[in-house]
Amino acid sequence: MEIAKLALRNLTRQKKRTLLLGGAVAFGLMIVTVINGFAAAFVKNVSENFANLAAGHVFVEGVEKSATGKEISIVHDDNAIMKAALEAKIPAKYITKRSSFQSTLLYAGKTAQLQVSGVDFASETFLPDRLVFKQGGIEGMDDRQGVIISEPIAKRLGVEPGDRILVQMKTYTGQQNVGEFAVAGITFDAGIFGNMSGYANKSYVNELLNLASDDYQAVGFYLPSLEGMDKYGADLRAALKEKVQVFEKNTATNENPIRAMMESSKKETWVGTKYRVFTLNDMLSQVQQIVNVLNTVSLIILIILFVIIMVGITNTFRIIMYERIREIGTMRSMGMQRGEVRNLFLFEALFLALGGAVAGLVLASIAMGIVSLVNFGLDTPLFIILKNGHMTFRVEFWRTLLDVVIVAVLTLLAAWLPAKNAAKLDPAVALRTAK
Amino acid sequence: MKRIAIALFLAASASLLAAAGPDFKSMLKAVDEMGDFGKQDFSAVYSIVTEKPGENPSTTEIQIYRRDVQNQFVILINKPEKQKGQGYLKIDDNVWFFDPESGNFSHSTIKENIQNSQAKNSDFKKHTFSEDYEISSTAAGKLGAFETWILDLKARTNEVSYQHVRLTIRKDKSVPLKEEDYSVSEKLMRTVLYLPTYVEAAGKLIPAKIKMIDELNKGEQSVLTISNVRVGALPDSNFTKAFLSRAQ
Repeated sequence: MEIAKLALRNLTRQKKRTLLLGGAVAFGLMIVTVINGFAAAFVKNVSENFANLAAGHVFVEGVEKSATGKEISIVHDDNAIMKAALEAKIPAKYITKRSSFQSTLLYAGKTAQLQVSGVDFASETFLPDRLVFKQGGIEGMDDRQGVIISEPIAKRLGVEPGDRILVQMKTYTGQQNVGEFAVAGITFDAGIFGNMSGYANKSYVNELLNLASDDYQAVGFYLPSLEGMDKYGADLRAALKEKVQVFEKNTATNENPIRAMMESSKKETWVGTKYRVFTLNDMLSQVQQIVNVLNTVSLIILIILFVIIMVGITNTFRIIMYERIREIGTMRSMGMQRGEVRNLFLFEALFLALGGAVAGLVLASIAMGIVSLVNFGLDTPLFIILKNGHMTFRVEFWRTLLDVVIVAVLTLLAAWLPAKNAAKLDPAVALRTAK
Repeated sequence: MKRIAIALFLAASASLLAAAGPDFKSMLKAVDEMGDFGKQDFSAVYSIVTEKPGENPSTTEIQIYRRDVQNQFVILINKPEKQKGQGYLKIDDNVWFFDPESGNFSHSTIKENIQNSQAKNSDFKKHTFSEDYEISSTAAGKLGAFETWILDLKARTNEVSYQHVRLTIRKDKSVPLKEEDYSVSEKLMRTVLYLPTYVEAAGKLIPAKIKMIDELNKGEQSVLTISNVRVGALPDSNFTKAFLSRAQ
């Protein structure tokens, strides 16, 4: 205990040096904490924004195989899905039943690609609240052929609300079809994914797809939060499997689970409808890979920064040792043991690391707080990684604790050699050393 | 008296046959057979000139290898230089696209357009009108100097690209002059004009020039000109992925 007190006192003796060394430690930890905070929030924000775009967290898609082996996406009868959802106790806030197609929009010699989702606006009451209109509005969807497009698509085509545009697409069996949309509303640029998506009335989308009015292609269960979606997905798959044919989810490889299911279905043959159950996490497995890369990068940055800082700490502690050489000689001649001298230096290094770490976390909190106050707006391509236009950060306790432990261990390692050398000093030699 | 009766019977039969009109099913089959080389392989070069409003015309040159008996084809892009080496391979119902830049094959479909043109992969395989469509109505007409039959065809299944095709066929030969492709919603999407100059190969007439007009994007059209037509055995190795990946 006395050694620890002595170590603290020694640190306050050279305030400027302590501040510089502690500052270096603080800076390193601040950078790493901000990167980790961004990476953790990145997944959450992307997932939440994607949940809005995809209209759900857990999805079931019906697939039929035609006589020629072509896969057809369709749900004729969803009784089994709804019963399975009840059995799996899916806490769905909303259930979305959508049809969609990839299309080319044509207007006055200009074209644009658009993924059109057929929405039942009477049941998807949450959607109008989520769309931020620049021109027109949801009331335009009273026109059965109404369509909501994003600002970049509208600009590309040169259209305004009320204009009628041709839509070229394929029916659910792959036949060429052409329809006509009336622009009902133009939304703010919703980032790279939002840009490519538009909304139309499901009844008209079904007509263009050549589907019956009650049919659809995929059902989405909107959960109260992102938590537990994989469990609910697994439970739903298990419950549905007892009633109808369900595609297996292969988790053995690193391949995207949805792509793996699609690849395997190409080789399979079946009669009737077979269902794919997947979650938002399955759709965003690549995002998780980005986060893993970010985490690895931040760890490498932490280690590089601290290797540089360690060289500084080692040199500084060697200087400290020579500065205090006669003091060490006095303490040793008064009965202080070699181990206590070594511990004195190590305690100083540990307090330096912990002090720097605390300062680094405080600085990181301030930096993250300031950045999160900036409103990037809703019309930014960064939309997908933001939350309501703001960049958010999520500091994970165990990850931060690990970083602090790494900082402490590296600092102790840096101080180890000078501490060992100080402990090895002969008291008589130390006392007669002239500085 | 007996002779008169026979002559009357033959005259009545002939007039009945004439009143019944031609056998349109056979006519449609003959159109398909005109481009079917059966057990012989077929190869040709197509130059495709595509025009779009406000853009300079672009030229694509492709080499085709076809083995109709096994339902296989290879399309190899020779021009433009940027796309040189790209190609398609069709074996049964599978179509692969090869990109030499990545060195990878990806799944494609016969409904995909060649480059930026109005021509689809399926335009380079043999016609299968008689398999894919049934005749819903017929009429006589005239196109330019040619007396024609106009056949309205309705798709037998809902997997054929166009639900409705109107085919204008020469009366003197079973050769199409015009094909109009309609969407499910009955909107005219594409007109294909088979210009009446022909290349003869293995006793078949192949239109030397085909004009494809995009009816939705006004002003967009592609003109296909055929050359280097050869009918005869091709090496089996031509219809493999290895051939496509080597042929740059």
